[in-house]
Amino acid sequence: MEPPTSPEDFIPAGLAALGIEADEIELAVIGAAHGLFWPPILELLALDTSAIPIERNPDLSKAPPSR
Amino acid sequence: MSQGLDLPLREQAAAIAAGELDAAELLEATLGRIEERNPALNAIVESFPERSQEMLAAAPQGPLHGVPVVIKDEWPLPWRAQRFGAADMLAEPTPGESGPYRALRDAGAVVVGVGNMHELGASSTGNVSVYGPAHNPWNPERCPGGSSSGPAAAVAARLVAGSVGADGIGSIRYPAAYCGLTGLKATFGRSAMAGHHMAEVSTTIVSGALCADAADCRLLDSALFGEELVAGRPSALRIGVIRDEVSEDVAPAVREACEAAIEDLRAATGGEVREIELPELAAATLATVLIANSESLGSITPERLNNLDPELSPIGRGLLKYRVLLPAVATIKAQQLRTLARHTLATVFEGVDVIAWPTVPAVAPPLEAPLVELPSGTLTADEANVRGGALANLTGIPAISVPVGSSEGLPIALQLQAAWGRDELLLDAAEALEKANGRRWVEATPAPTRGAETLEA
Repeated sequence: MEPPTSPEDFIPAGLAALGIEADEIELAVIGAAHGLFWPPILELLALDTSAIPIERNPDLSKAPPSR
Repeated sequence: MSQGLDLPLREQAAAIAAGELDAAELLEATLGRIEERNPALNAIVESFPERSQEMLAAAPQGPLHGVPVVIKDEWPLPWRAQRFGAADMLAEPTPGESGPYRALRDAGAVVVGVGNMHELGASSTGNVSVYGPAHNPWNPERCPGGSSSGPAAAVAARLVAGSVGADGIGSIRYPAAYCGLTGLKATFGRSAMAGHHMAEVSTTIVSGALCADAADCRLLDSALFGEELVAGRPSALRIGVIRDEVSEDVAPAVREACEAAIEDLRAATGGEVREIELPELAAATLATVLIANSESLGSITPERLNNLDPELSPIGRGLLKYRVLLPAVATIKAQQLRTLARHTLATVFEGVDVIAWPTVPAVAPPLEAPLVELPSGTLTADEANVRGGALANLTGIPAISVPVGSSEGLPIALQLQAAWGRDELLLDAAEALEKANGRRWVEATPAPTRGAETLEA
């Protein structure tokens, strides 16, 4: 498969790479969701979170342990 | 008997316990009201009079003995598998004794129907469901809220006095807000969750009650929590408010009502309002969506996605397929943001007892086009609502939605959030707020509906 050349290619190319079929209506829905979610996802990816640890098996019923 | 139907949940329970109200007659009257009013609302998608009568016959003398309740289509019953509002829920729907069912049964309650819900629990509006949408009793052309649309509409229309929903990203609080009810999102892990098809993987979903007011929620949630949620009287309440889009980018009527309610709560408790900062709030919204969506991916395969039930809506099919394109690294960063948000909240709750902001930024939008007008422009209701609803699910803290006003004949609600395990404080604060405004908003009821028409009050 050719690599995608534009953001619009990402959805059909990504689905095709995973062997997932989508009709025109589904692609329109996915496109709308992509338009909503992708910009903040790109912002999130750009964040330097290296200093933030992930809680191991966090107990969400309680406050996190003090650092 | 109609007086019994319209009693609050706690008064139904008390009247039955005192022998002043016959539980069998109440059940019969409730089923009659469902038959009469539900067709215009589609709040209840299935009732089962024989099963309900069997439950009543076997009901123990618990705190909810003989009280009719509705349970969301997210929870299995011994005689009925959940459908999750969808023609295809990816997981295998199976009948069984879910945790909320057991809690209700053991408290003596009688399940009289299954509440409608938004397809796959995937929206704050309730406008898409395999059963067709539920309608908002305040205006049947408006969204009831989601995803616990039917449980909310059923209580708002007084088909029953209490119902059980589930909240993965605001799904109890949004419909409570749109329908003028009180709804508590429990501290994660504190309320019954067994039997949910995602119980083993979800870190955001909890069960919880939707009722007319906080005292009824306290009673029903006590059953779901498996412990009495003891009432207290909050004093000198420190109320945290935030000055960002969650509180500022809201419809003017919502902002005005919520600011007035915050002042009422402050005055009623002799407390104070403190401005706080939650710099991670905007990113926390996305983080919650990423985590909640990724937690259901374990059961997905390309083959399964290529063979979804054709009756699943195009929106449902598209969103399920989009989930597999979300980058894993974003979900890892979302978990880091969860850690950060939890630490920030722990610090914030050293200085305040509750955080207050509007549950939703605008009143219930039209079912046909769930868009809301905000100072920043026109947004989808989901896009706008998730800003205020996600933080509690991401971090595990409890949150409650309380009716505090109305605009265009539709309810307005304030959300209060507290530190982990302080669910009781939220109920106490909600009751203090109800008293402060003369219980005006919790006692307001929509005009009853019959058949397909809405009647004047």
